Amino acid sequence: MRIGVFVCHCGSNIAATVDCPAVAEQAKNLQDVVFTTDTMYTCSEPGQNEIIEAIKEHNLDGVVVASCSPRMHEATFRRALERAGLNRYMLEMANIREHVSWIGKDKERNTVKAFELVSIAAAKLRNNNPLFANKFDVTKRVLVIGGGVAGIQAALDCADAGYQVVMVEREQSIGGKMAKIDKTFPTVDCSSCILGPKMVDVAQHENITLYAMSEVEKIEGYVGNFDVQVRKKATYVNWDDCTGCGACMEKCPSKKNLDAFNEGISKCTAINIPFPQAIPKKAAINPEGCMMLKKGKCGVCAKVCPTKCIDFEQKDEILTEKVGAVIAATGYDMFDHSVYKQYGAGQYPDVITSLQYERLMNASGPTGGHIKRPSDGKEPKKVVFVQCVGSRDPAVGRPYCSGFCCMYTAKQAILTKDHIPDSDSYVFYMDIRSPGKGYDEFTRRAQEQYGVQYLRGRVSMIYPKGDHYVVRGADTLAGTQVEVEADLVVLAVGAESAKNAPALAEKMRISYDSYGFFMEAHPKLKPVETNTAGVYLAGSCVGPRDIPTSVGQGSAAAAKVMTLFSKDKLESDPQVSSVNASRCVGCLKCAKTCPFGAIKEVTDRGGNVKAEVIETVCQGCGICTVTCPQGAIQLQHFTDNQILAEVNALCQAQLDF
Amino acid sequence: MQALAELKDQIRKALPELDVVIGWQQGYDALHTRPLFIRSEEDIDKLVVNEFCVVNPSSYLREMRGGKKVGLVLKGCDSRSVIQLIQEELLNKDDLTIFGFGCNGVLNHAKLQARFGDIGYIESAESDGNTVNLVVAGNKETAPFAELCAEKCLTCSYPNTLQCSHFAGEESDKKAEAAQDKALEEFEQLSMEERFAFWQDQMRRCIRCYACRNACPMCVCKDHCLANSRQPKWLSEDVDVQNNFMFQMIHVMHLTGRCVECGECERACPMDIPIMLLRRKMAGIVRDVFAYNAGTNAEDTSPLMRFEVEEPTIEERH
Amino acid sequence: MSGSTGLLTEGQDLRIVGFLCNWCSYGGADTAGVARFEQPTDLRVIRVPCSGRIDPLFIARALLSGADGVLVSGCHPRDCHYAEGNFYARRRLEMLKQFLSVTGIDPERFHYTWVSASEGQRWQDVVTSFTERIRKLGPAPKMSGGTGYDEECLKEIAAAVSLGEQCPCHKEKA
Repeated sequence: MRIGVFVCHCGSNIAATVDCPAVAEQAKNLQDVVFTTDTMYTCSEPGQNEIIEAIKEHNLDGVVVASCSPRMHEATFRRALERAGLNRYMLEMANIREHVSWIGKDKERNTVKAFELVSIAAAKLRNNNPLFANKFDVTKRVLVIGGGVAGIQAALDCADAGYQVVMVEREQSIGGKMAKIDKTFPTVDCSSCILGPKMVDVAQHENITLYAMSEVEKIEGYVGNFDVQVRKKATYVNWDDCTGCGACMEKCPSKKNLDAFNEGISKCTAINIPFPQAIPKKAAINPEGCMMLKKGKCGVCAKVCPTKCIDFEQKDEILTEKVGAVIAATGYDMFDHSVYKQYGAGQYPDVITSLQYERLMNASGPTGGHIKRPSDGKEPKKVVFVQCVGSRDPAVGRPYCSGFCCMYTAKQAILTKDHIPDSDSYVFYMDIRSPGKGYDEFTRRAQEQYGVQYLRGRVSMIYPKGDHYVVRGADTLAGTQVEVEADLVVLAVGAESAKNAPALAEKMRISYDSYGFFMEAHPKLKPVETNTAGVYLAGSCVGPRDIPTSVGQGSAAAAKVMTLFSKDKLESDPQVSSVNASRCVGCLKCAKTCPFGAIKEVTDRGGNVKAEVIETVCQGCGICTVTCPQGAIQLQHFTDNQILAEVNALCQAQLDF
Repeated sequence: MQALAELKDQIRKALPELDVVIGWQQGYDALHTRPLFIRSEEDIDKLVVNEFCVVNPSSYLREMRGGKKVGLVLKGCDSRSVIQLIQEELLNKDDLTIFGFGCNGVLNHAKLQARFGDIGYIESAESDGNTVNLVVAGNKETAPFAELCAEKCLTCSYPNTLQCSHFAGEESDKKAEAAQDKALEEFEQLSMEERFAFWQDQMRRCIRCYACRNACPMCVCKDHCLANSRQPKWLSEDVDVQNNFMFQMIHVMHLTGRCVECGECERACPMDIPIMLLRRKMAGIVRDVFAYNAGTNAEDTSPLMRFEVEEPTIEERH
Repeated sequence: MSGSTGLLTEGQDLRIVGFLCNWCSYGGADTAGVARFEQPTDLRVIRVPCSGRIDPLFIARALLSGADGVLVSGCHPRDCHYAEGNFYARRRLEMLKQFLSVTGIDPERFHYTWVSASEGQRWQDVVTSFTERIRKLGPAPKMSGGTGYDEECLKEIAAAVSLGEQCPCHKEKA
C-alpha cells in the first residue's frame, strides 16, 4: 500500500501547540507511508488540491489527514479523494485539533500524541477496503410532526413542491402558540390575520393529510422508507360528518371545564371547538368533563347535533403511514412559574403569564379583547411586566435566555397603552435583547413613544396589598430598591421544551439536550438536520425561536426534504455489516440482537442456515459484530481487524497482519 | 445398580427410534471411561454409569447437526450444556432424547494421582458414593470419595439430569457442600500482583493445544474459532503469555452467560492449568448480576443477548 | 464548574486507550476541544460508531498488550443513536469490569461511562479523573514477554512425551 499523510496547521489552531512539520517528518517512518507533508489549511481549496496532486504524483492508494475532528471534515476530504479517483473510504483522519491542540498546552507532549494518532490512523488505513454504495427507492412523502407556524410552513412548502405531506398535530387545532397570540412584534399586525390563511391552506391543500388530536406512536425504518404509526385519539365526534356548526357547544350542560386554548383564564364546555378559526373546525369531547362519558347520563350534544356525528363509543385509532422523511416541529411549552414562591407560586389571580395576557388582549379571547383583571373584571390602570421568569435563572434549572420575551413584553406594554390610554406600564428587565430587524427600534418606541417605564433589575417579591399588588425589585441603574404598585402583574415566562419531547426524540432516534430540546446535527452548519438521516427539525423544538426564525426554519427543513426527494434513488451507506458466509455457523445471534431487524435468515445451496444483512435497513452500529463469536459478521469500515490494528498500533504490540 | 438396569431398559425401548445413543463404557482400565456410541442392541450392555463417567457426552453433539435422532445419557451438569444449546437454537429439541439419572459426583484423576502417585494400571475400581476401593497390582487402596471428587461437584446444584425424557433410578439428594466456591475464594485472597504473577506462570506453561476449546460443549464455532482465523485475526501464532492469555479471555468472554461449568476444559488441559477459575468467576458474576444459571431453562435468553432499560443490578458508572 | 484540571506535567505520558462512540462521546470530546477544556494528554481515542461495537475483547487485548488504562464512553442509556447499542454495551462491559480482578489486571484500569455530545465539561472531568487514577496506579505490570517455556516446564512436556508406549493409555487389555 502507498499512504500519504497530510498534517494540517489549521492556521495556528493546531500549529500553535503541535509541531506539525515534526509530525509529518516522523510519519515517514510508518509502514507503507510514502509521502508526508504539512499544510496551512488542508480543508481549503489549495489544501485539497495538494492532496489530489499528491495522490496522482505519488500514486497513493490511501490518505491520512491529521487535522480537525472527522465529524467536521471527513466528508470534505472524502470528496477530495473521490476527485482524485480514490475510493472515499481509503481516508482516515487523525483528530489533532479537538483532541490534541485545543486541549493541551504542552507542545512536546501534544506533538507525540499527534504523531501517535497519525500512526493509529495509518494502521487502520492499512486494513481499509474500498466500499461502494447501493441504491434504493425513496418514498416521496413527508411526515410533519406539529402544526405550529414552523410545521405549517414546512408542510406548505413541501406540498407546493408537489410532495405528499402527512401532518400530525397533538391538539385539536393546528396553529400552535402563534394562534393564541394577539399581535406580533415589531409590526403589531394581527397574528391570526397572518397565520389564519396559512392554516386554511393546510386544510385545503390537496397534498396535505392532516391528523389533529393525534400523536406519533412509533417510527420504524430508515431514510426514504419510514413506517410511521399515528395514534388518532378518540374525540367522540365523527369528524367526517362534523360541520363545526357549534350547536353542541351551545347546549352542553358541562360548562365549567378549563379552557386550555385560553390558557385556563376562562371556562369552556365539555364538547368544544377551541377557537373560531380552528383548523380543522371540528368539535371534540373532553372525556374528563363529559357527563355522558363519566356517568352515562346526558347525551344532549348527540340529540342536538344536526349531522348525528356524536359517537360516545369512539376509541383511539392507530393509522400507518409510509413516508420518506420526517420534519419535527413540535415547538415549546411555557415555563410553569408556580416554582417561584416569591411571585405567589401561581396563587395570585392577578399575577398572570404573558400568554394568558395575550388571550386577554385578543379580540377572540374570553374578554372580547378588553383587558380585565381575572379577579374582579376591573380594568387595570397600572400593569407591571416582569421579565426573565424561568429564563436566565440557574436556580430553577433554566440558565438559557428564551430570546423572545423582551420583544413580546415591549409589544404587550405598547398594546396596553393602546387598550387603556390612561394606564401606566412598568417593565422589570435584566437586559433588553432585541437583535432583530426593527426590534431595537421597537423597544425604544415602547419607552420613548409609549412612556413605558423600564426598570433594570430582578423582581425579588410580589405580594398582595388590598385589592392590588406590590412588586418589589432592584433598580440596578439607580442603585436602589423599588416598590411598584400594580393592578395586574404579567410574568414574561420563558420557553421550555415541549412535554414528552424526549420520548418523541427516542422514537425518531435523535438526541436531545438536558432541557429536552432536540439536538441539531451541527449548531451552525446543520441547524435543521439531525444525526438521523431523513429526520429534520424546525422551530422551537430545537430551542426558543421567534416567528420569523421558525418560519425560516420550516422552509429550510422543507428545502432539505425536497433535496432528498429530488433523487429517485438514495444511496445506502456502505458502512454496514456484512456476513462472511463461510465463517457463519447460522446461530443467528446477530439477528436476535439487531435493533433494526436488518439481519435475515437464509439457507445456502448446501441447505445450511446463514445470516444475511439487509443493507438498506442496517444502520451500521456493529452490535452484531460483537455478538458473533466467530467474527463472521463484520461491520464494514469498523471491522475487528481495523480496530485491532488501531489497538495494536497504540499498544505497540507486534502482530503481523 | 438399579439406575443402570433401568437406563439400559429405557435405551433398549427407545433405540429403534434413534440413530445413536451416546453414553459411557469402560475405558482402558477400571478407573477410566470412554464414550460409547450405541447403535445396536448389543452395544447397550457396554453402558456404564458410575463415578468415573467424567466426560460430557454432549461434546460429541456439535458434529451431529442435521436431523439425526440422538439419544444422550447425561449427568446433571452435562444436561445443562444441552439445554443451553437448545436455548441458542443450535440443537433441535425434537431430535434429542435425554436419559437422566441422579449423579453423586465424578472422580478427579488429578486428585487421585496427587494422593497415590502415578499408580499405573488399575485392575478394579469401585465406589459406593462414600468410599473408593481400588485394586492396583494386587494391592488394595481405599480413599473417601469426597477427597477425590471433582471440584465442580463440590459446588454442584444440579446433580439430577434436567429436562430429560427418561429418568432412571432415584434422584440424587446430594447438596452442594457450599454455595461458595472455595478454590476461587482462596485464589481471590491473593493480591492483584500475586494473581497477575500466577497467571503469567500458568500462561507461560500453556502450549495452545486448544484441548480446552475442543472439549468445551459450548464451543459451537467448530472450525471457525477466532483463534485460528485471519479475517478477523485476534491472535498471532506465537505461543507466548500474551496470546495464550488472550485466548483464555476470548474463551471466557464467549462463554459469558453460556458456561455451564462442566469443567471439561480444565480436565482436558494437558498442562493442568486451572482455567476453571476463570470460567467459574465469570459464571459467578453472571449469577450475581443477572440471577442467571446457564443451561437450566431452554426457554430463557442468555443475559448478553438481551437487556433492561433500567439495570438495577448494575451500578451506574459515572 | 471548576477551571482547574489538575493537569499532570511530570514524566512520560501513560498509555490510555479510549473507545468512544461517534455520536455522543466522540462529539462530547470534540465539544470539550471546541470549548478549550484543558485535559491531560495521555489518552488516545479510537472512534467506533457505537458503544455496541466495542467488543470487551478489544479492551482485554489492549490491557494485555501493555495499555495502562482503557476508557470507554458511549451515549447515555436511552440516548443511543442506534436505540439499543449502549444497553448491550452496558452488560458486556460490566461483565468484563467485574471479571478483570481474577486475572490480576486491576479493574481500576478499565472504566466505562456515558458522555453526551453536549457534555464537554463532563468529558473534561471524566478524562482528568481517569488519567489521575491511572497515574496513581502507575504503569501496568508488563506481560512477561517472549515465547516458549521455562526449563521446568519443558521437562514436564518432555516427560509426558517420553512416556511413549509406556503411557497407560497404550496398555489397554486386549
